[in-house]
Amino acid sequence: MADTITPPGRLIALDGTRGKDTLAAAEALGEALAAAGVTAAVSRFDASGLFGELAAARGDRLLSPRTLTLVYAADLAFRLRWEIRPVLDAGGVVIAASYIDTAVAVGAAAGLDEDWTRELLRFAPRPQHRGRAEERKPGRGWKPRLDRGYAEYAAAMLAGTPPDLTGKAARRTAMAWLERQGRATCTVPGRGVAALTRAILRRRPAARVRT
Amino acid sequence: MDAARRLSARRLTRLIAGRERSRGLLIAFEGPDGSGKTTQRKLLARWLESRGHDVVSTRWASSALVKPLLKVRKRIHTLSVEEYSLLHAVDFRHRLEASVLPALWAGQTVLADRYLFTALARDAARGLDLDWLLHAYAPLLWPDLVLYFSMTPEDSRRRVASTRSPHFYEAGQDVTGLEDPLASYTRFIDRVVTEYENLSVVFQFVTVDAGDAVYRQHTRVRELADGAVKRPWPEFSEPAVREWLTRSPHLAG
Repeated sequence: MADTITPPGRLIALDGTRGKDTLAAAEALGEALAAAGVTAAVSRFDASGLFGELAAARGDRLLSPRTLTLVYAADLAFRLRWEIRPVLDAGGVVIAASYIDTAVAVGAAAGLDEDWTRELLRFAPRPQHRGRAEERKPGRGWKPRLDRGYAEYAAAMLAGTPPDLTGKAARRTAMAWLERQGRATCTVPGRGVAALTRAILRRRPAARVRT
Repeated sequence: MDAARRLSARRLTRLIAGRERSRGLLIAFEGPDGSGKTTQRKLLARWLESRGHDVVSTRWASSALVKPLLKVRKRIHTLSVEEYSLLHAVDFRHRLEASVLPALWAGQTVLADRYLFTALARDAARGLDLDWLLHAYAPLLWPDLVLYFSMTPEDSRRRVASTRSPHFYEAGQDVTGLEDPLASYTRFIDRVVTEYENLSVVFQFVTVDAGDAVYRQHTRVRELADGAVKRPWPEFSEPAVREWLTRSPHLAG
């Protein structure tokens, strides 16, 4: 089910707790790479359209953090097949905004065990680079919106039953989780863009490594 | 905060254990296509109802929420093995939370026309890792009884062929690559039955011979349902029930 050979391209995972910020970060990074002569493709949340269709079909039915995470996995499988793997196989650069960490962080904020989410998404290849979108309005909870990022979508779809994702505490949990993900992560935009761009450009050609 | 959470966790445990007596029974019907599951499920439902039971049936890939998404993508054959599997997991989890668990909690008997073993058998036959599949379906809600309508791959093929041409995914054409649905089904169902047989040991299926006369199968199904013993929730299914209950505060009181 997983590729045994790492494709020759470069995968950059950008995660964050707000859809708008994550896309802004992807844009900033894409521009910086373009200035250095590298064209990067961007793979966005809900490229499959599953989330949008689900919202339309919802009616008054209630969803749970677990079902939403399963949908996230299905969407990611779609994005890998149509947007990410083709670019990597051709040796290109692709920015996934968002990728695995967003699902794990939002899931953790909604009370899901992070190991469950990680294991569920294990079919997705490890990115060579990881960036964290700069958090704006960090003191606020998520606005329930169906047309932003995954977290806002989850806040809207889970409205009315626990867990409440619109409060400050939930978002804080997700931000803290993302922050804990270590030094390799750098924040974009801001100075992080330059650092991440350098790291991407400096990296040597991919070896044929088993994953 | 932590103390409060622990306390409520203990209360949930008590609630779940306390419900064991009044909760309904969950019976799963499994087996290859054409094995007569649906017929037997309907017969059992009618019999249970005649004896005063409140019966709810739930069918595979039937949730109003996911069915439309799944249907379109199945029809135009655009699903990869992972996407196919994950969307079924979404449908299953949603039915579990929205209809199966509330019904069981309220004391209704739930008859599941195919349960997660269908996904495990089919998707493992498609080459997905069984551990990953079990993980995607976790936490498990164990049925009290799994009736497995057993038939050989050849018989399943013959029965399916006599009524219709199997659909693209049902025939496993996405993995066999064969143009002819029946030829593909023949190859695919072989693997599915093998997977089912492995599962039957782990999950303690009770086998019903799908080759028997319908009334004879029904008699056996009645006896099995009548004698079914609850598989204790606290031991087998607590995480699944607890997760659902946490999100249903009106029930948790």
